[in-house]
Amino acid sequence: MSKPLIVGSVAYTPNVVTIWEGMRDYFADGPAEMDFVLFSNYARQVDALLEGTIDIAWNTNLAWVRTVARTDGACRALAMRDTDTVFRTMFVARSGSALGGLENLKGKRLALGSKDSAQAAILPVHFLGRAGLGPDDVELVRINSDVGKHGDTGRSELDALRAVLDEHADAAAIGINTWEAIGREELMPGAFEVFWESPTYCHCNFTVLAGLAEDRVEPWVDKLLAMDWDDPQHRPILEMEGLRQWVSPQLDGYASLFEAVREQEISIRW
Amino acid sequence: MVNQRWVLDLVERVGAVAQGATVTVPLGDGDPGQLVQNVGAWCARTGNELVEVRENVATVRRGRSPDPLAELAPDQVPGTRLWMYTNFDCNLACDYCCARSSPQAPRRALGIDRIRRLAGEAADAGVIELLLTGGEPFLLPDIDDLVAACTAVLPTTLLTNGMLFRGRRLEALRRMDRTRLALQISLDSATPDLHDQHRGRGSWSRAVAGIRTAHAEGFRVRVAATLPPEQTHQLEPFHTFLDSLGIAREDQVIRALAHRGVAEHGLELTIESLIPEVTITADGVYWHPVSADHPDQLVTHDLFPLHAAITEVRRRFTEHRARATAAAQWFPCA
Repeated sequence: MSKPLIVGSVAYTPNVVTIWEGMRDYFADGPAEMDFVLFSNYARQVDALLEGTIDIAWNTNLAWVRTVARTDGACRALAMRDTDTVFRTMFVARSGSALGGLENLKGKRLALGSKDSAQAAILPVHFLGRAGLGPDDVELVRINSDVGKHGDTGRSELDALRAVLDEHADAAAIGINTWEAIGREELMPGAFEVFWESPTYCHCNFTVLAGLAEDRVEPWVDKLLAMDWDDPQHRPILEMEGLRQWVSPQLDGYASLFEAVREQEISIRW
Repeated sequence: MVNQRWVLDLVERVGAVAQGATVTVPLGDGDPGQLVQNVGAWCARTGNELVEVRENVATVRRGRSPDPLAELAPDQVPGTRLWMYTNFDCNLACDYCCARSSPQAPRRALGIDRIRRLAGEAADAGVIELLLTGGEPFLLPDIDDLVAACTAVLPTTLLTNGMLFRGRRLEALRRMDRTRLALQISLDSATPDLHDQHRGRGSWSRAVAGIRTAHAEGFRVRVAATLPPEQTHQLEPFHTFLDSLGIAREDQVIRALAHRGVAEHGLELTIESLIPEVTITADGVYWHPVSADHPDQLVTHDLFPLHAAITEVRRRFTEHRARATAAAQWFPCA
């Protein structure tokens, strides 16, 4: 029997341990046994992938972009969550703000999340640019909490929302996952409203280097895709990881982030 | 003043703890009922569990508690088996009887009408097996009718001391449905000493004779021994004896003596430590057959509708387990 595949993941919440122990148990009965290693940030995880310490990295979209850049494309994505294929950034403001679109942010203050968060910092600036708003048009209120985890904790996005409530900002850019977590407009009536929603883009994926043998990868991916929401053994893991179904990667969904990283000259390491 | 940020605080704090851990979040001033509703709504949409709101502070558990019922073996789920105490009087006065039965005990019979109705409702409520116990059921002149009311609906087990299979009672036994009824006869030892010490002189011989009679009449016979916990490790001679009587190993049941009824010693069994087995007596619905004469384990005086009693037992069991889980969470260290 071949040695287990080692999957790397970033420990952004204690639940990560529960999730990956559940995943390891799920894969334990073959044919693609796995174990996992947790990292404190995505830079260390990508380093470990490139050094061969881990076989598979559970990467954010920014970690994927950086892996592609550092390997000159000699890597590939294996799978992602169904929710990763329809990720979006929501621009929110206080209810009744009368903001009707990105162009209305001219002269306003926009709270952004961690500088390495694709959904709450990098892509929002990209979308502003597409709307014709440059660095001098919008005052960016950056909230760099938990840098290194690419916004996974959501903390910087919650702080961005608090900044709006505290009137330190006129609007905030947050991921759809945070918008869902706070119950959209429904649980804080009169607090927030969405005034612009981005096109969909992709978020996380399982990344491997191009050299990993196909006969090791394929059984692992097949087993992963076979996880079933309707199976009571599988569902708790899927719920905690925030998906209903693992799906094949949709690489087109990373185009906007590749572009944003290039435009903003974001380091390929941190 | 209403704290509009409680949602943000909840998201942040719940996200920072492990599955099953709890967090508290002040909700500010406001109508307590509305606050419970709001936090409950957040928990419902995010897959977390509202533990309580007290003095406008919400306690929320990350994730949902596992369903205690789902963790039980299928035949342990409360309401899968239904126990009925047909009566409380007995021809014996065992010194450890959990039901305080004896020749002097009032009969407190459940009666044919209630047993027939309970059996009918049991099948509809998801019960898959009925168990009749006492007292000594064969003291009842209509025991064959009671059994027939049960076996007509579900597989049934009748608990007896096996000592009365003579005359009209033997005739009653012969009228029972062998394909749907098992007899469970009490016998505590391979030799008379221990059994007779607790149950009365000569009772061992008559019980063994009863086992042979029931077998000869074509009934499946289980033998159940009640032993002090310290004696449950010396079982092999007893099993060998039961083998010689033709009792299948899976029908040889060893129960530890419970400190209930007239027993002076034995296992302490409480609602918190017992997986319930819904038990009906003439006086009400009880948590478990071992405590059917004890007010501390009375669930309700209302026997009907049966499904309501079963639902209530399950609810209380789930509540007890949740409380135990929470206690383990709050006091994790020795």
